[in-house]
Amino acid sequence: MTKIFDNIKGLYLKYKNASAEARYKAVLKANSVFMAVLRYVILIAIGYIILYPLFYMICSSFRTKDSFYDPSIVWISPDLTMENFMDALKVLKYGKSVVNTLLYEIVSAGIQIMSCSLVAYGLARFEFKEKKILTFFMFLLILVPSQMMMLPIFMNYSKLDFLGFLGLVDKLTGIDIRPNVLNSFWTFYLPALLGVGIRSGLIIYIYIQFFKGLPKELEEASWIDGAGPLKTYLRIALPSSGVVITTVTVFSLIWHWNDYSLSSMYLYAEKWPLAVRLSEITSAEAMGTLRLDGNDPRRIAIMMSGCLMFVIPILIVYLILQKKFVKSIDRVGITG
Amino acid sequence: MTENMNTAAPKNAVKKHKKHKGIESLKSTYGRLFVLHWEIGLILFFVMPLFQSFYYAFCDVSFSGGEYHFQYAGLKNFNYAWNENANFSNNVSLSLTSIVGSLPVIVIISLILALLLNQNFRGRLFFRGLYFLPVIIASGVVIELLFKTTTADVSSSGVSDSFAANMLQIDDIMAWLSLPTEIGAYFGGLLNDIFNLVWNCGIQIVLFISGMQSIPDSLYEVSKVEGATKWEEFWFITLPMLARTLILVIIFTIVELVTAKDNVVMSQAYTLMRGAATSYGTASAMLWIYFIIVGVFMAVLMGVFSQVCLKRWDTGGRS
Repeated sequence: MTKIFDNIKGLYLKYKNASAEARYKAVLKANSVFMAVLRYVILIAIGYIILYPLFYMICSSFRTKDSFYDPSIVWISPDLTMENFMDALKVLKYGKSVVNTLLYEIVSAGIQIMSCSLVAYGLARFEFKEKKILTFFMFLLILVPSQMMMLPIFMNYSKLDFLGFLGLVDKLTGIDIRPNVLNSFWTFYLPALLGVGIRSGLIIYIYIQFFKGLPKELEEASWIDGAGPLKTYLRIALPSSGVVITTVTVFSLIWHWNDYSLSSMYLYAEKWPLAVRLSEITSAEAMGTLRLDGNDPRRIAIMMSGCLMFVIPILIVYLILQKKFVKSIDRVGITG
Repeated sequence: MTENMNTAAPKNAVKKHKKHKGIESLKSTYGRLFVLHWEIGLILFFVMPLFQSFYYAFCDVSFSGGEYHFQYAGLKNFNYAWNENANFSNNVSLSLTSIVGSLPVIVIISLILALLLNQNFRGRLFFRGLYFLPVIIASGVVIELLFKTTTADVSSSGVSDSFAANMLQIDDIMAWLSLPTEIGAYFGGLLNDIFNLVWNCGIQIVLFISGMQSIPDSLYEVSKVEGATKWEEFWFITLPMLARTLILVIIFTIVELVTAKDNVVMSQAYTLMRGAATSYGTASAMLWIYFIIVGVFMAVLMGVFSQVCLKRWDTGGRS
């Protein structure tokens, strides 16, 4: 103890006797050490907040029914079980739901990534009169929540029409050719294709910010060499925008994977993707198939294991893309 | 053009100018072609449905014979939602206060985290990966189930409750500092909500970091030469240059908070919407009232922000 005290005293004497420059350096060093410690403390504290629910999710999904009645068990129970996962698999209809998710959501994510980049390229690179108003609409698209338009779109889907043209045909000839696209993949592909899918506004915005920062010279050179606009876009602009495509891909995949308000509205039960199934996991119907009553503590365990299985595929994708994504964030350059 | 006329070969110049104009108009045509599909989509999936839902708010909606029927009913739905429905106006004020309360916290937490994650230090990649985790998980059902379970169902293992209660006795601290209990209640609420708040920061952190990366390094070099401290660097360079990102983050956060499914107004309207068809008019009216209020709130916020910050900062950032 006295040794430590002596050490500190020695350090202090050294500091007191040092030259002004050395003192300044010592202060700077102490400052930076202090900042580093503070940084790690904050990062770890908030990291704990982020990881805590995840640990909770993982731990409670392996717990047995009895362990929920034992107050001494907070985290890991001594006897682990896979039973919850089996039940969750059954309730979620896992295989089928994953296929549905891939078929409806992930494909439309891919479509959205492409169609939105086209729109953004047009808005970022070319000058035309309506551009201002279209930019305004892009911001509206970000701002107005999709729930506002849900029922009108639902009704329009049941008789798909564009500006009443097909309805006019119906009135003139008596043949109703307006297709009912509800419960089909068109409900997802069509908006994605037209650049108005899930959160398309934000995706277009991110693309625009990136394209604006991209040097024009290469594209101008390809114009001079006689390449058309589409060729310039495909050969010059797209290959150099890998960074933004990574960012947008991660966002779009996540948003589509997590979407359940739209798919629960437009699709019937047998075509539900995983997210909708998960949101129904505590419903009376699901509990009925497992023969559990409403107060059974295993409800939570099943719910948590369902969450875990829902998260795992997208987590794997994220871990694969993570390094690229984390680095791409540095270079997308969203400035507003 | 007048400048060209004064040069030695005016005819040539005029010709050149015409050709140039041709390319410009061609380019604008190409630009229109690039966004053509989006314009169709906007009309079909955005403008038209928006007007429709506005119209439905004034209608009695009924469902019979496999079709929806609409009958104009004036302001009945609005009147019902605002005056007669016991919960609605209450819910609106409740959700607005919760938005006003948590918006600054989310923005500040994500700004601090972005500042930290943007520095160079050991384990940066790991921490970034960790902090983007909420981006993946938070925007969906999982977070809802996770927090619903952990707070409501099993009180003994509730995440938020036990966490806040164990960590700090906020009331004691407030009493010790002899501050009014309202402030204590606010901070206590924040602490209870800390999981929700931190988990809502994911995308904001991403936006902030990528905004910070677009600030040119030369500014920081100059400030270093001038002998500015880190604190001054933050106030005179980072924050002003982030002004536009800040607006984007604020807008995005408000939209997230408003459209979150656990928002009381949204969940009320949502339940109505998924129920009987007759209540759709009411639900629509509710949503319109709510979003007009939020829109006004946002417009005021943006107006103040651009008056106070953008004007001062935009010149300050450049000079």
